[in-house]
Amino acid sequence: MEIDPVTNGNADAIMTESAPTITPPTTTPVPSSRLSQLTESLKLEHQLLRVPFEHYKKTIRTNHRFFEKEVSSVVSGVGDLADSDWSRDDTVARLSSLVSRLQGLKRKLEEGSNVENLQAQRCRARIDHLESADVENLTEWNNTKLKRILDLVDIDIFREAKKVIDALKNREVASALTWCADNKTRLKKSKSKFEFQLRLQEFIELVRAESYNQAILYGRKHVAPWGATHMKELQHVVATLAFKSTTECTKYKGLFELRQWDVLVHQFKQEFCKLYGMTMEPLLNIYLQAGLSALKTPYGFEEGCTKEDPLSQESFRKLALPLPYSKQHHSKLVCYISKELMDTENPPQVLPNGYVYSTKALKEMAEKNEGKVTCPRTGLVCNYTDLVKAYIS
Amino acid sequence: MEVKTVKDAFDRVAKKQKLSCSKTQETVDRLSREIEKALNAIQEPTTDTDNPLLHKSLVSDLKKTVQEIAPSNQLEAAHKELNVALSKYPKVLEKTLNSDISKAYRNVEFDLHTVHQIIASFFYGQGLFDIGDCFISETGEPESSARESFMEMYLILKALKRRDLGPALNWAASNSDKLEQANSDLEMKLHSLHFLKIAQDKKSLDAVNYARKHIPIYSDRGLQKLMCSLLWNGNLDKSPYAGFLSPTLWTKAVKELTRQYCNLLGESPESPLSVTVAAGSQALPPLLKYMNLMVNKKQEWQTMEQLPIPVELSEEFQFHSVFVCPVTKEQSREDNPPMRLCCGHVLCKQSINRMSKNGSKSFKCPYCPSDIDASQCRQLYF
Repeated sequence: MEIDPVTNGNADAIMTESAPTITPPTTTPVPSSRLSQLTESLKLEHQLLRVPFEHYKKTIRTNHRFFEKEVSSVVSGVGDLADSDWSRDDTVARLSSLVSRLQGLKRKLEEGSNVENLQAQRCRARIDHLESADVENLTEWNNTKLKRILDLVDIDIFREAKKVIDALKNREVASALTWCADNKTRLKKSKSKFEFQLRLQEFIELVRAESYNQAILYGRKHVAPWGATHMKELQHVVATLAFKSTTECTKYKGLFELRQWDVLVHQFKQEFCKLYGMTMEPLLNIYLQAGLSALKTPYGFEEGCTKEDPLSQESFRKLALPLPYSKQHHSKLVCYISKELMDTENPPQVLPNGYVYSTKALKEMAEKNEGKVTCPRTGLVCNYTDLVKAYIS
Repeated sequence: MEVKTVKDAFDRVAKKQKLSCSKTQETVDRLSREIEKALNAIQEPTTDTDNPLLHKSLVSDLKKTVQEIAPSNQLEAAHKELNVALSKYPKVLEKTLNSDISKAYRNVEFDLHTVHQIIASFFYGQGLFDIGDCFISETGEPESSARESFMEMYLILKALKRRDLGPALNWAASNSDKLEQANSDLEMKLHSLHFLKIAQDKKSLDAVNYARKHIPIYSDRGLQKLMCSLLWNGNLDKSPYAGFLSPTLWTKAVKELTRQYCNLLGESPESPLSVTVAAGSQALPPLLKYMNLMVNKKQEWQTMEQLPIPVELSEEFQFHSVFVCPVTKEQSREDNPPMRLCCGHVLCKQSINRMSKNGSKSFKCPYCPSDIDASQCRQLYF
């Protein structure tokens, strides 16, 4: 229970604990199954931590490479100075320029480390966010989770991707190639041939434009290096030199199709997601699918289904249609009246007409109506004493 | 909890990053210091004219110092350590968390239009009208009907959160019958809050009048407490009725109003999208585990009619009664309903038919020693 510091935060707060109208917070012990369920759910959050980290890592690497280069060029600048025959004034001028270069470097270093720290904070905030989830505040936490699935939390990363995708859709490979160069080592490690495919596409475009000479030059420079690993594909594509873009030869026709660009877009998305540890499918769809399947029962599609069930809604039914039904190994009975679970604490009782309700709900009804209960679905009235038990295992 | 492992691994990365950063900074500082020192020495007005090549020797000294500083092993070492931490952290993540949660994904394309509608209703249902409107206009979806209906509710709730009971009381009064039908004490709750508000302004008499006019029709028990609290008016916090000051009364009223309003609208007070996603995060872990074990079931996954394993969702996702026959382990259906044996145990009709050879003989209940006559079994309706 939340305690407002203004009204209850004083020394008399103890008194308020026994306030007459407010039921004290019921602290039921948390069943361990709930805890392990939570732990398991948290394990789904790989992407949440991975994406900002990859971003952070990239910044660190870029910064480091930049400084390494700058420092070594300053060092070699001094070396050159020592090795050549400069006048005193020239030496002074050169040294001064080196000093100001170092000053600039220092400023950049500070900026760079600020960016790094900011990104580190973001990674840490996400970890803290995961840590903050516990059984008590689960509803609230789940709500935040949903909102972050809906909003693009890592929006700047998606912007980077969008730039490349838009360019590819305009049939330009330049920004995709820059992206490949930026992430060269990572792509190499995962044996990606995305760059190769971009190069092939450019080659094909040259052939399409019938600039055969250029195509051959281009091929020599950019396509041939891939020969060692992808000879077969290479041959297939280079053979297009012998064809026109309007060829009907099925083997080559496909290569000239503009659809190939969409394939590239798809491939880029794949590479991009892999690099950042993201799933190709939107997170929302993944969660929706799993949730819909787990909730999908034949009852959800019936008329008069309780509206608490998302599948009572037309739109959710539509999405759930191609998905599998849930499977149950154990009976789970929900009281029609109170919507509470009927278990050993609140066992089911059977009316003479075979309708089953929870003991709690029936007892309450009987207390209000001089020992009589009314079946809400058939209107049958009977004595509470006429009820019999049913044992569900 | 594994979050700690992740946290530790990340702390290492952050620490090494800081270290590497300060080492780089140090190197840059030392370089500029040395160069500046040499520069000053060269520029110093010197009387020593017989050494016109002084600057040369200074520069070659500088070269030596600079080369000592630059590829400093310390810098290299710090960076190496950072690299180790950097490549270790994703491994820790992969180990403690599920690195690919799309393994249990069926390749079906959701109808984008439907998904958009669902998301828009979600925003409206949460009272996020600006975001909802923005979303609708960006996706080019037709305006959602959910907007209108939720708008009124959020105006009422907004007022209520400001502790302005007017709109809420109006709404409750005009839906009084329906609220009563739904067994809700919302009206009483709102009136009590109003009563307390008047009383808190030290106008006990006004409060009494208000109670006379509005409260008696509902409950005498609640009324007793309210009236009694007037005896301590002014220092309620030291009275047995201190609870009346608690802000939880207000949050409870907000909750109840949301519930009742949605109820009358025919909507669920819980957003169906959040319910589904919450169910999804419970269902995904076991499904992923299954897919990790059953690598060769990938194909089947795309077509199966029913999930291959039972997924236990917690109580709040249990909307329907499900009866699974303890003998056949099959779910009951209309043509195979649950039947109660005279001893109280429940089996499916098919099981009873099988055990009684279609009613031709009595059989033993599988759960107790009773002899069962199939004709005495009664169908149950959950």
